[in-house]
Amino acid sequence: MTDWLRRLLQSRFHISSQIYLGLGAAVAFTIAASAIGFVSFDQVGGVQRRVNEDVVPALAAAFQLANQSSVMADDAPLLMAAPTPQALDEVARRVARDRRDFAAQLAELTELAGRGGVSLPAEVRAGGAALTANLEQIERMVRQGFVLAAKRREMRAELFRLHEWLTAALVPALDDQLFYTMTGYREPGAPPDPRARHATPEAFDHYRHLAGIRDGTTIGQQVLATVFTLNDQALLEPLRERFEAASHGIRRHLRALPPTPLNERLTPLVSRLIGLGNREGGAFDLRFRELELKASETELLEENHQLAAELVAATTGLVDAAQARAAAATRASAEAIRTGQNLLIVLIVASTIGAVLIGWLYVGRVLVSRLGRLAARMHDMARGDLEGEVEVQGRDEVADMAAALEVFRRHALEVQRLNLVEKLADELKGKNEELEGALKSLEQAQDQVVMQEKLAALGELTAGVAHEIKNPLNFIKNFSESSQELLEEMREEIAKERDPAAAAADDETPEERRELIDELGADLVGNLEKIHAHGERANRVVQSMLQMGRGDAERQPTDLNQLLDEHTRLAFHSARATDTDFTLDIQQELDPEIGEIEVIPNDLGRVFLNLVTNACYATDEKRRRLAEAGGEAAAAYTPTLTLTTRNHPDHVEVCVRDNGSGIPAELKEKIFNPFFTTKPTDKGTGLGLALSSDIVREHGGSIRVESEPDAFTEMIISLPRAAAGG
Amino acid sequence: MTAPRRAAAAALGAAAALAAAGLPAADSGRILFGQSAAFSGPARELGEGMRLGLEAAFQEANAGGGVHGRRLELHTLDDAYEPEAAVLNTRRLIEEDRVFALIGAVGTPTARAAVPVAAAAGVPYLAPFTGAGFLRDPAQAQVINLRASYAQEAETIVERLTRDLEVRRIGLVHQDDSFGRAGYQSVRRALQRRQLQLAGLGVYARNTTAVKTALLDLRHGDPEAVIVIGAYKPAAALIRLARHIGFRPVFATISFTGSRALVRELGSDGAGVYVTQVVPPPTDERLPVADAYRRALAARRPDARPDFVSFEGYLAGRLAAAALERCGPEPARACLTGGLRRAGDLDLGGFALRYSADDNQGSDAVFLTVIGPDGRYRLIDRFGGALRP
Repeated sequence: MTDWLRRLLQSRFHISSQIYLGLGAAVAFTIAASAIGFVSFDQVGGVQRRVNEDVVPALAAAFQLANQSSVMADDAPLLMAAPTPQALDEVARRVARDRRDFAAQLAELTELAGRGGVSLPAEVRAGGAALTANLEQIERMVRQGFVLAAKRREMRAELFRLHEWLTAALVPALDDQLFYTMTGYREPGAPPDPRARHATPEAFDHYRHLAGIRDGTTIGQQVLATVFTLNDQALLEPLRERFEAASHGIRRHLRALPPTPLNERLTPLVSRLIGLGNREGGAFDLRFRELELKASETELLEENHQLAAELVAATTGLVDAAQARAAAATRASAEAIRTGQNLLIVLIVASTIGAVLIGWLYVGRVLVSRLGRLAARMHDMARGDLEGEVEVQGRDEVADMAAALEVFRRHALEVQRLNLVEKLADELKGKNEELEGALKSLEQAQDQVVMQEKLAALGELTAGVAHEIKNPLNFIKNFSESSQELLEEMREEIAKERDPAAAAADDETPEERRELIDELGADLVGNLEKIHAHGERANRVVQSMLQMGRGDAERQPTDLNQLLDEHTRLAFHSARATDTDFTLDIQQELDPEIGEIEVIPNDLGRVFLNLVTNACYATDEKRRRLAEAGGEAAAAYTPTLTLTTRNHPDHVEVCVRDNGSGIPAELKEKIFNPFFTTKPTDKGTGLGLALSSDIVREHGGSIRVESEPDAFTEMIISLPRAAAGG
Repeated sequence: MTAPRRAAAAALGAAAALAAAGLPAADSGRILFGQSAAFSGPARELGEGMRLGLEAAFQEANAGGGVHGRRLELHTLDDAYEPEAAVLNTRRLIEEDRVFALIGAVGTPTARAAVPVAAAAGVPYLAPFTGAGFLRDPAQAQVINLRASYAQEAETIVERLTRDLEVRRIGLVHQDDSFGRAGYQSVRRALQRRQLQLAGLGVYARNTTAVKTALLDLRHGDPEAVIVIGAYKPAAALIRLARHIGFRPVFATISFTGSRALVRELGSDGAGVYVTQVVPPPTDERLPVADAYRRALAARRPDARPDFVSFEGYLAGRLAAAALERCGPEPARACLTGGLRRAGDLDLGGFALRYSADDNQGSDAVFLTVIGPDGRYRLIDRFGGALRP
């Protein structure tokens, strides 16, 4: 067994087999996921089916039933409100339909109850039956009411007809009888009866009975009219009492009347009137039944309200129950769906992880990464990196390839070693030469830059220098001319001394002459001293310029105030020389306490020169701008330069302040950067302040700027008293 | 069907009914007038006379192309001079027939019952055949009267009796209804103005001819003259019976009695009975409107004889046509009455009418007539003594 296993483990494991194995595992995961999905769908479907087939129809049926019962609850008032028999028929048809609908709904619900979809309480069935019976009863009553009302209307019409006929018979009869009794006239055109015939007790009695009948019938009609509109059942009997009294009276008077044609006309009318009230089914009977019916209707309606309320309550309970059931079913369905969802999510995660593991472990790590490593190794070797052995892992085709590559590498390594040393030497040499060249050109460039700056400074100074030299030269010229004249005069005096003839022409004494010659000599000596002094001064100027150009860098005790003054004048005159409009009011507040300080005068002079030149430029720019704008501002503006030196215990401060255009805050940081300039390209190199800053730093000092745009700029140099730094 | 749906259906039905009750009282082709009057019972000849006159006037107007191209039509219903029937008829004419206006009603109690119905519906009530005072209240916006009032007739009779015949004892017989009572009030006031009292008063039940008791009561006062306020049948019965029993005062009656019917009922007993009229004699040759009336009547019914009642009907028809003429092609009900009230003077071919904001009665004219021995009416200007027994 172990033998077989070992053989299996050691046998070749082809790439195809590995990939098939990986794919097989992935497929297995997918099938498992689908199976779980299928099962959960099936479960959800089952729940849903139960909801669809059982719960929903039950709920719908319960709703319908509840709806139908509230419809039926409205039926009774509709029945009672029907104004005519036709309208009642219409309503009755609807009510019958409502009843049928209710019964159908109940049957459906019963069937559902049989299947267990819903429970049907007994009170629903009983309530429905009771309400139905009640509605039928109400309908019957309303119909009966219509029949009675029709009869009442008929009787009332008859009453009116009787009234008309009785009036038509009785009024002329009374009229005639009275007239006959009083006058004896009976027939128109006929002569009157004698008084003994017409003014008799019988004739008066006749009139009295007629009047009695008229009164009785009037009362009878009024009582009946009242009966027809009576609403209080209790008042029927008193009215009947009055009607019977009236009827009795009418009959009594009628019997007492002599038999005339009028009597025959009156008898049936009176009988009909009395019968209208008293007969079976007469006005009293009818009204009694009508009022009874009304009372029953009211009772029934109350009962109807009760029944309807009970039924609606019962059906509402049914709906509530069905709703609860539906809610439960919905919850179950949702639960099943959620379970299925969770299972699927777990499976998806599992299969994703599985697939990733298969891809990464089998294909990626074992196969692709090995092939990748092999390929990288080949690349390295192709580039010439032949160091390190090629790893040989596994028992498949990749392992074979690795072994073959290792053999190839060893061969290549041998060949490479032979060429390598020579090649390296060549490369190194080339690189060295390149570096040297670069260094050289860099140095040259640096020198050039500094030189350019120096030359630029020199150029700026030329005019100032020329002025500084021109001044002593003028003195020299003037003194030398004066010396010439003095010399000429002296020669004349000397000639006079030598030639008495000439002297004779003159009125002065020889003493006087010799005195004069001495004086002239003294003046000459004075002149020559002056010429020498001014020559010295010019020489110093040239000397300092030469030093500047040379870049002499030796520290020596220097009078800072004088240095500042000299260079200020240089800068001022340079500016003045290029532009005759240029003016500058120079204020000096120099602290004489400063004394001499160890500095490199050349360098520091350049710094002062630079600062003053900048100040000149700034004030001039502002002046020009104001002049262009014109107005009082231009007139009021005086370009001013204030030079201040202050002595402190351990350091001195030199401030150069102008009231020119100032420096915007955002540029303050940049002004010390090399090649930064705001001047036009032909006016500045952008190196002035950068070099100045370097120089001050070399002296162990610091330079800072304070400025407000369009107000002032103050450059403040602080230098240590004791020489420090290099 | 559920309860709300039933209610909705009912509401729909009601809405349909309401839409049907909209008022095209004057539709494009015609203008319909309604008349509720007595066409049966003891006052039937008044209703028939008014109808005939109205029809004649309408036919005449329609023959001339109608009013602004519309035909005038008349729809009549019989109320038999009964107030209840008058109410029902008026309601029916307004609601079912949707008449533009009511015209030519007959009688005071009927008018009294019908006018509130018409007024509530905003329907004009034109030229009723009655002189009752309440219709002459200017506040009766829907009522337009053509004729003089009973009070004016009564005043004329009393004036003539006292002045021409120098009668001091004047009795009265009236029908026991609002018409009769209106006449009673009018006569009493006329007497009171002359410091006179009624000499005998008889009352009889309306719509009967049982006047004997009234005659007995009247005779009790022994009047020299008797004013009868009643329909033609009982009035005639009373006069004939009085003459029969030898009771012979001067009888005078007012227009409502119905002149021609009265003559017919009275026969030879009619001679010497004074009747006041509110329209001119229809046979007047010089009056243009009477001429037009006779021609229109002949055109309408060739066998009809001119009489006061149908002449009044004709004048009512002419009044309606003239009012409509003024209202233009799209007449409104308010224009019919309001327009007339604003119109002021109106001349119907020689019969002058005048309305104003506080007068809805067009004519104040009362004409005196007397029944001659030949049974014909004669126009007189004073009561003559010759006929006095």
